[in-house]
Amino acid sequence: MESKIEQLRQEAAKAIKDVAGTLNDLNDIRVKYLGKKGELTSILRGMGQLSAEDRPRIGQIVNEARQQLEQLIAEKNQELKAKEMAKRLASERIDVTLPGRQTSHGHIHPLTLTLMEIKDIFMRMGFSVEEGPEIEKDYFNFEALNLPKDHPARDMQDSFYITEDILMRSQTSPVQARTMQSHEPNSPIRMIAPGRVYRRDDYDATHSPMFTQIEGMVIDKNISFADLKGTLEDFLRQIFHKDVKVRLRPSFFPFTEPSTEVDISCVMCKGQGCRVCKGTGWLEILGAGMIHPNVLKMSGYDPTKVSGFAFGMGVERITMLKYGIDDLRLFYDNDTRLLEQF
Amino acid sequence: MQVSIKWLHDYIDFTETSDELADKLTMAGIPVENVVHAGEGLEKVVTGKVESIERHPDSDHMFITQMNVGQPELVQIVTGAQNVKQGDIVPVAMIGAKLPNGLKISKGKLRGVPSNGMLCSADELKMDLTTLTDEQKDGIYILPADTEVGIPAKDALGLDDDILEFELTANRGDCFSVFGLVREIAVLTGNTPKWPEIKVNEDDEASTADMIKIGIEANDLCSRFSARVLKNVKVMESPEWMQARLENAGIRAINNIVDVTNFVMVELGQPMHAYDYDQISGHSLTARKAIAGENLHTLDDSSRIAKGEELIIADSEKPAGLAGVMGGLESEVTENTTTVVLEAAAFNGVSIRRTSRACGLHSEASGRFERGVDVTQTMRALDRAAQLLQDMGACTVTKGIVDVYPEEKKPVSVDFIPAQINNRLGTDISGDKMVEILDSLGFRCEEDGKGGYHVAVPSWRNDVTFMEDLSEEVARIYGFDNIHASTPRGTMVQGVQSPLQSFIDRIKVTLTHIGMNEELSFSFTNPDMFDKMMLPADSPLRQAIPIMNPLTDEAPLVRTSLLASVLENAIRNLSRKNEDIRLYDVAPVFYPKALPLTELPDEVVKVAGFMCGRRNPMSWNTSNDMIDFYDAKGIVEELLAKLNITRYQVVAGEYTAMHPGKTALFKKGKEIVAAVGELHPQVAENLGISKKAYIFEMDVPTLMKYSSDKFSFDVLPKYPAIVRDLAMLVDEGVNASDIEKTITKNGGKFFKNVTLFDVYTGKQIADGKKSMAFTMLFQSNDKTLTDEEVDESFNNIIAAVEKEFDAELRG
Repeated sequence: MESKIEQLRQEAAKAIKDVAGTLNDLNDIRVKYLGKKGELTSILRGMGQLSAEDRPRIGQIVNEARQQLEQLIAEKNQELKAKEMAKRLASERIDVTLPGRQTSHGHIHPLTLTLMEIKDIFMRMGFSVEEGPEIEKDYFNFEALNLPKDHPARDMQDSFYITEDILMRSQTSPVQARTMQSHEPNSPIRMIAPGRVYRRDDYDATHSPMFTQIEGMVIDKNISFADLKGTLEDFLRQIFHKDVKVRLRPSFFPFTEPSTEVDISCVMCKGQGCRVCKGTGWLEILGAGMIHPNVLKMSGYDPTKVSGFAFGMGVERITMLKYGIDDLRLFYDNDTRLLEQF
Repeated sequence: MQVSIKWLHDYIDFTETSDELADKLTMAGIPVENVVHAGEGLEKVVTGKVESIERHPDSDHMFITQMNVGQPELVQIVTGAQNVKQGDIVPVAMIGAKLPNGLKISKGKLRGVPSNGMLCSADELKMDLTTLTDEQKDGIYILPADTEVGIPAKDALGLDDDILEFELTANRGDCFSVFGLVREIAVLTGNTPKWPEIKVNEDDEASTADMIKIGIEANDLCSRFSARVLKNVKVMESPEWMQARLENAGIRAINNIVDVTNFVMVELGQPMHAYDYDQISGHSLTARKAIAGENLHTLDDSSRIAKGEELIIADSEKPAGLAGVMGGLESEVTENTTTVVLEAAAFNGVSIRRTSRACGLHSEASGRFERGVDVTQTMRALDRAAQLLQDMGACTVTKGIVDVYPEEKKPVSVDFIPAQINNRLGTDISGDKMVEILDSLGFRCEEDGKGGYHVAVPSWRNDVTFMEDLSEEVARIYGFDNIHASTPRGTMVQGVQSPLQSFIDRIKVTLTHIGMNEELSFSFTNPDMFDKMMLPADSPLRQAIPIMNPLTDEAPLVRTSLLASVLENAIRNLSRKNEDIRLYDVAPVFYPKALPLTELPDEVVKVAGFMCGRRNPMSWNTSNDMIDFYDAKGIVEELLAKLNITRYQVVAGEYTAMHPGKTALFKKGKEIVAAVGELHPQVAENLGISKKAYIFEMDVPTLMKYSSDKFSFDVLPKYPAIVRDLAMLVDEGVNASDIEKTITKNGGKFFKNVTLFDVYTGKQIADGKKSMAFTMLFQSNDKTLTDEEVDESFNNIIAAVEKEFDAELRG
C-alpha cells in the first residue's frame, strides 16, 4: 500500500513538474490525482477496507502526499501564471511614442487673461469692479473730468462722435464720475473700471481704434500721493515681477494734480536698454495722479474733506509686455493659431 | 518744441551733459522726448571735392568720381547721384563710417568698379530736413564752394550742437520758450541765469502813436495788443548765428525781420508778427471777429471764407491776418519793405485753437497761444525784437509803444498751509523747504501769520490756481523719487465685481472648458453685413448707430449684431486656411432708442459663437468626422446647464442667419434664451463660406434672469435601480422631445429619467419612418423594486406612446 502511494506521489510530482503548457494542463493533473475521483483521493475513499491499526498510518501518509502535491501544484501554478503574465505583457507592447489622444478644449483670449489677473489683484486689495456705458455723454467723458470743450488737452485724444454730445467713450475715466455720483457724497471709494474704449487712431502695431483700459480710483480721508505710489508699486510687482523697478515722472492730465506717468524697468532687458524700451531701460506703463479738486466737486465730493488718487492703464500694452507680443493688431485679428497658444 | 544746448547755454551755465540735463528736465515734468547728439555717426564723414567725374562704363545711372578728401591720394568713389558736378564740395563717408541711419561704409565694387566710400545726402546725415529747400533735400548735399576740403563734415555743416526735442504737456505754455526752460534749468541745476539786457534805443524822431492806431473790438478774444514801428528797414539775411539757432529749433530762416520775430517767440515764448506798414490801409490794426463771408487771404496764398467767429487783425478796409494763426499775404514783409509794424498780442487760446483746427493750420505761434502766453510780456518782446534788429543795423526805432490793454491782469494769489501739501503728498517737507522751492520757481510766498502762506503766482504760470497746483510744484522739484510709498489707510472693504461681470466670467470659463476659443472684436460694423446676413428690410438690427467721423468707410456703424462680428472673424480665419474653428465672443451690441441719437442707447451684452470643421482635433486615432448641428446644440445645452438654467423648451424655429430647418430655439415661455442652428446656406454663400458651419447666439441679461443660483444636492440612492429599454418605429416627423415628455408623464412614481440612445433610419426601416430607442430608469428611495412594480409603469408608457405617436414597438 505504502509503495503504491509513494509511486503515485512520485508519478504525480513528476507530472506536475513536467507541465509546460497552460494552467489548464496543471488543473488536469490536479483532477487526475487530487480531484473527487482522483487516484490519491480514491485511496482515501478506500480506507474503510483497511485494518484499524493501518488506517491512521496510511491516512497520514496519503494526507502528507496530498499536501506535498498541493504545495507543488501551488508553486507550479505561480510559475505558470508568471510565465503567462510575461507572455501577455510582451504581446501587449505598444508604441508609446505615438501622440496621446487630444481632448478639445478652448482658450481664453490673452487680453481677458490679463484683465482677469488685474481684476484679481485689485479685488484682493479691496477694490470693487465698476462699469459704465461704452457710448457715453461728452459730459461724463470730458467735462466732469475737468476737460471743458475746447480744452487743448482734448487734442490728446481724437474721439469717435455720434452726436455733438454723445461719443464712443475715449477712456474709462467717465466711470469715475459715474461712480462718485452714485455714492453718498464724500463716502469712501476703491474701484477699478475695466472696459473697451475708442479713439480715432489709425490701426497700427501700437494703436487701435478700440482698445481696453482699466481705470482705478481711491477716495477717502487723507489719501496721499505716497499711497498712490505704494498701491501702484504693489500692483506692478504683482502683475509683472516682484523685482520690477517703478519710476514716477511728473506729467499732466487735466483730471489729476499732481499728475504722474509711471514707468517700470524694462521687462525685456531688465533695464539694460533694448529695442522695446528704446534703449532707455524704462517702459511707460500707466498714467496717474491725485484727483483734481474740480473733478471731486463736479461729482458732489468736497475736496477739503476727502482726497483721492486715480490711475489708468492699457491692458493691451501690459499683455504685449507680459507675452512679448510686438503687434497690437494680433489681439483683434483673432487668428485661432494665436488664440490657441493661450 | 526743440531747442539747442548752445541756445540754452547763452543764458545759463551748467556742467550736465545733454543726456543728464534731459533726464533732470524729464524727471521734473518737462519731458524731453529725444536728444539729438550733434554729429553722431558722422565721425568718419569729411568734406571732399569732386576732382573728376565720369560715367560708369557698365551703368547708365552711375558715375565714377575721384575725390579730394585732403589726403595726398585721390579716393575713387562710385555714386548713383545725378546732381554732382566737377568742383562740387560734398560730404564724403569714408571706409569704416557708420552713418546715423545705421549704414556701414565698407570697401566694395559697384558693377565691377572699386568704390571706397560714399557721397552723402542731407537725409543720410540726419540733417533737419524741415529747414532745407527741396534742392538741398534731393540728391547729394552740396556744401558752399568756399568750404575747406578734408575737414570733419559735422563742422562744415554746423552739426556741432546737441538738440533737445521736448514733448511738452498742455499745461506748461511757459516752457515753450528758451527763457522758460532756462528758469527750470536754474532750479534743477542750482545755477543762476544770465538774462540778456533788453534795452532799445528809440533813435527815430517819429512817434509810434502818430504812425499807427491799434484797437481791440473783441475784448473776449484779445486781452492785449501792443505794437512798435521800425523805420528805414533793410530786409536781408539774418546773421549766421541766428540762422543756426533757428534751424536747430526747427524753424527755417527767411529774412532778418521774420527771423527776429521767430527768434523772440522761441526765446520769450511771445509770438509776434511783422507787417509791411505801407500795405496797411488807414495805418490802423484792429483785433476783431471776422464778418461771415469775409475773404481771408493768408501768407500761404490761399483764400479762406470767414465763418464769422475767427479772430482776425484788420486794417481800415480788410482783414490783414488770422490772429495768432497766420498773417495776411498783402501786408507780408518783402525785400521792398521799408517800414515795419511789429505786433505782440495776447489772444484767447480757445479761439485760436478753434480757428487753427478749422483751417488745418498749426503754427509755432498758434501752439503757443493755445497753451496760453504771458500777457505781461508783449512790450518786452517788442523791445527785444527792436533791439536785435537795431543791433544788426537793420532799422531805426520810433518813439514809444502803442499798447492796448483794456483790463490789466491781476496777479493770481493762492494760499496754502504746509500741512495741506504734506497731507496731499504723504510727505513731511518743512514749510521753509516748500517756500524755498516755490521761490526758486518765481512764486512769491508771504507768511499769513497763522502758519500758512499767501503765494503770488508768477505771470507766466497760467496753470497754477489751486493749493493742489502748488503741491505739484513742490513735489516735482522735491523729487517724486524722494516720496516714500505707503498704502492707503481707512476702511478696508472686500473687493467685489458686479453680478453681470461675474456672470460674464462664468460664461467665458464654461465655453472655454467645452472647447470654444474666445475672440475680441471691434464694436463697429458695415451695413453690407446686414444684407449678407439676409436681415429683412424692416429688421431692427438695421437700426445701427452711425458714427459722425468714422475711421474708414468700412466701419461706419456701431454694431447691433454680435453674430456679425463672429462671422467676420470666422471668415478671416477660413481665408487663412484655419479649418477647424470654434469661436465665441461675449460683448455688447448697441440698440438706439431712436435715431438720430438723443439719449444713450441700450447696451446689451450678447454671447455669439461659430463652429465648423472637425469634431475632434486631427489625430491618428480619432475619427475625422465633421461637427454637426448636435455638437453646436450640445455646447448650448452644456452652457445652460452650467449656468443652472433648466426647464426650458426646445422648439424648431427661425433666427437671424440660420437655416430655417435646422434651428433650435431654447425658450422660457415666449422668451428666447438661446438660438442655435446651421449657418443659412445662402448667408454662407454670401460670405464665401464653403463648408457647413453652425452658429449660436444668446442674450446675457436673459440668461441672467433665468439662471438660478440655487443648487441642491440629490441624495445618493440606497436601493438598486431597474432599467428598461424601449425601441419603437415612429413617423419621421415625430420630435424626440415629445416622446420623452409622454414617457415622463406616464412613468409612474418610481420613474427617474429617460435617455434617447439610438436614432436610426435606413435599411430595414420603412420609408418615412425612423427607429428610436430609449432607456428608462426606475428607482425607489425606500426599497428595492420588484419587476412587477416596474412592469406596470412600463406598460403604461408603452400604451401611451403607441396611442400618441402611433408607435410600433420593436423587439
